[in-house]
Amino acid sequence: MREVAPKNPLQILLILLVLAYAAALIIAPIYAISDGAIERGWQPIKDTLQDDGVQHALRITFEFSIIATLLNTFFGVIIAWVLARQRFYGRTLVNALVDIPFVFSPVIAGYTMIVLFGRNGWLEPTTFAIVFAYPGIILAKTFVALPFVSREVGPVLESLPIEPEEAAYTLGASRWGTFWRIVMPGIWVGVIYGVVLTLARSLGEFGAVAVVSGGIEGKTETATMYVYRALHDRNRIGAYSVSLVLGAVSVLILLVMSLLKWRLDRQRG
Amino acid sequence: MKTPKTLLILALLLSLIAFGVPTQAQDQPETVTITLAAYAVPREAYEDVIPAFQAYWQEKTGQAVIVQESYQASGAQSRAVAGGFEADIVALSVESDVTRLVDAGLITHDWKANYNGFVTNSVVVLATREGNPLEIEDWGDLAGDVEVITPDPATSGGAQWNILAVYGAARRGFVEGYAADDEGATEFLTKLLKNVVVFDRDGRESILTFEYGIGDVAITYENEIYAGEAAGSTYSVVYPTSTILIENPIAVVDAYVDEHGTREVAEAFVAFAQSAEAQRIFVENGFRPVNEDVIAEVATDEELAEKFPKIEDLFTIEEFGGWSVVRKELFGDEGRFTALIAEVAGE
Amino acid sequence: MTVKAWSKGGPMVRPTFFPTIAWGKWSLRFLAVSYLFLLIAVPIIVVSYKGFEQGLTVFWESINNRIAYSALKLSLRTSATAAVINTIMGTLTAYVLVKYRFPGKAIFNAFIDLPFALPTLVTGVMLVLLYGPQTIVGSFIEENTGHRILFAPPGIMLALLFVGYPFVIRTVQPVLMQLDLNQEEAAQTLGASNWETFWRIIFPAIRPAIIAGALLSFARGLGEFGSIIIVAGNIPMKSQTATVYIYAKVESGNMQAASGISLVLLAVAFTITVSIDFLRGRKHA
Repeated sequence: MREVAPKNPLQILLILLVLAYAAALIIAPIYAISDGAIERGWQPIKDTLQDDGVQHALRITFEFSIIATLLNTFFGVIIAWVLARQRFYGRTLVNALVDIPFVFSPVIAGYTMIVLFGRNGWLEPTTFAIVFAYPGIILAKTFVALPFVSREVGPVLESLPIEPEEAAYTLGASRWGTFWRIVMPGIWVGVIYGVVLTLARSLGEFGAVAVVSGGIEGKTETATMYVYRALHDRNRIGAYSVSLVLGAVSVLILLVMSLLKWRLDRQRG
Repeated sequence: MKTPKTLLILALLLSLIAFGVPTQAQDQPETVTITLAAYAVPREAYEDVIPAFQAYWQEKTGQAVIVQESYQASGAQSRAVAGGFEADIVALSVESDVTRLVDAGLITHDWKANYNGFVTNSVVVLATREGNPLEIEDWGDLAGDVEVITPDPATSGGAQWNILAVYGAARRGFVEGYAADDEGATEFLTKLLKNVVVFDRDGRESILTFEYGIGDVAITYENEIYAGEAAGSTYSVVYPTSTILIENPIAVVDAYVDEHGTREVAEAFVAFAQSAEAQRIFVENGFRPVNEDVIAEVATDEELAEKFPKIEDLFTIEEFGGWSVVRKELFGDEGRFTALIAEVAGE
Repeated sequence: MTVKAWSKGGPMVRPTFFPTIAWGKWSLRFLAVSYLFLLIAVPIIVVSYKGFEQGLTVFWESINNRIAYSALKLSLRTSATAAVINTIMGTLTAYVLVKYRFPGKAIFNAFIDLPFALPTLVTGVMLVLLYGPQTIVGSFIEENTGHRILFAPPGIMLALLFVGYPFVIRTVQPVLMQLDLNQEEAAQTLGASNWETFWRIIFPAIRPAIIAGALLSFARGLGEFGSIIIVAGNIPMKSQTATVYIYAKVESGNMQAASGISLVLLAVAFTITVSIDFLRGRKHA
């Protein structure tokens, strides 16, 4: 679809309507958080972000969310592809499974992991711990953010014409070549939004992580757990500034990925 | 040949991140690490108790102690430890959360040997808006036209103290206009429950809701009031004529200390937390002490006596036959209070 | 009629050239299915086991009581309403973002996901500070309508609208961008009105995306926990949602009941996804 400048009052009205809705829904709370964070100037924010425990929490949160995002992106694209381009028995079932992590109460998701991997669990590991250690946090983050990439890419794949793929393949391009040169440019935008949503969801995850991490300060405490604790301790500035860091990262990732896409588009002409 | 390269980069990135994950710092030979799993409320107090213990242990044995801390809701903490969270020491809100670990076979010693296993006490009180504009004086006023805040007894062990305080006070004849028996107490509790506007998840969230401007009166704990005031909140506190004594347990988790080889230092930590030195720190943070020396100090010190006023009629959990009875017969799925809350909600 | 002839690459799903190379097809399918099995089917098995461990009667009792039932109903009602609003506003937002040029668009676009990355607990606190009874907005509404927003079902809706807003936008947007503009222009050249163009060309193309987004938004609403625990009053049968009820059961040590209600939630979501999939499949057949 081509971008145009709004021509008539009706179109301008539509834009204003959308902006007003978004402002009421999103901008107001975000403004309020930012305002709350800098209520006593920048020093408390700096102190919060320089705290060893907070830095460690942010670091593990980012690292683990990136791992969860990479896993979900790789498998998400495959899942979307399989669901959009293949017909097989049980496809409907597989399709229905994808959305499940959202409906799964996070507390139950965490509890399930303890039943599986905890003390006297069904699959209690012998050599290294999964729950109440890093692998458990990664698993929880991966689980809750699983649907995004496949759900973002799926509809785009379905809307793409198949003929160019077939043509390229018939003309002797390899399967990967076809995918990379013909399909990928088409689904790029979907992948980008999928990745950003996945990352955002993993960064913000609390319920399941809180159950499986143990929450040792400076060790297994994640950024959202810190935020929760800070809210409880009436340390609103600490809670807001860490939240804003989490939010800002997803904005940044979206900008970087959009830039990347723009450059790729230009290279391809 | 773009593809294998991309895959390779992806794999490399993945492994880099996986190996870049910070691993647990290697312990120095002269240090020992213990993990404390506590409920959320006494965090400020433990922040002072832990350095004091570290100094004490260093002097006594020459060994440095690292205390890893985790603070979560009491029930969640207890379930985590039962599920494999290897904490050496648990400091929880209610006794039944420790009992769960005994039942799981993790605590095998007689953890109630000293001070009955408790480390801090408190009492259930009422927080009203500054200046007490509705002139709330005792439990009886909570059945009138007021909005009441208390946490959900289904999720918060602490909330159960509140319900017990209300019920107990009425049954012991300290609420005017209601018969001093189970029937009268039930009638009063029903009226009060109808006035509850928010059932928060735990005690701290409940008082925070009150601070956000919801409700006229919050049923809460004396130590919560002091924690709130230390953070700049203002309320007018009302001490009921009759209320319950809150007792918070602490215990060494046998299975995990034996696995970690930390029994000696963990037991020392528990003993230290009950010693006069640590108890004074708890007193500073708004908790009532369990140590008899410090209890005597508080009674004789004018300022402290004012901080912890004497309650005219103070009863304990034994009024109801202990936690095992309370958990099952009153707050269990088939419990009387659970049914009562459902009944009030259904109207 | 002429318009239809162009929609070659429409939403129709067709087998591609891949099926001719069996191992590629199978290995991809194997990867997709095993990932979903390990991460999603295994937890479902665990929850089913816990739910039915004590027999069918106990399972039935755990879900067949007034409080559980009304919690479930409240969750379904608020999530469905929020999903409908999110779908309408999300589709409009995506359309505006793709179609029109206006100042500040790039920033607006970047900010859409932000509420999503905020820990939901903070979202809850923010809503309380903005719409609570002590604030200008909150007291104004309470005085004029007699309804309280927070600690009541409207507060739950507000939280769900907030956390679900990005879904429909982000699923519809990429499809709109991919949309073949020749079709749109041709339709308009042939004299179709804007409205007709939208309904006959654009809407059919973005329909799968709208459905996917709406489902995500609905599912997210059913499972939302962090913000609801702060803005809902959690009074049984009035402002207690299913996830909070589940949490209460976990806390009081009744894993069987918690698993039972979880299973009902899962079954509802599953049924909805499957039936939509079925309806769509039949339409295309």
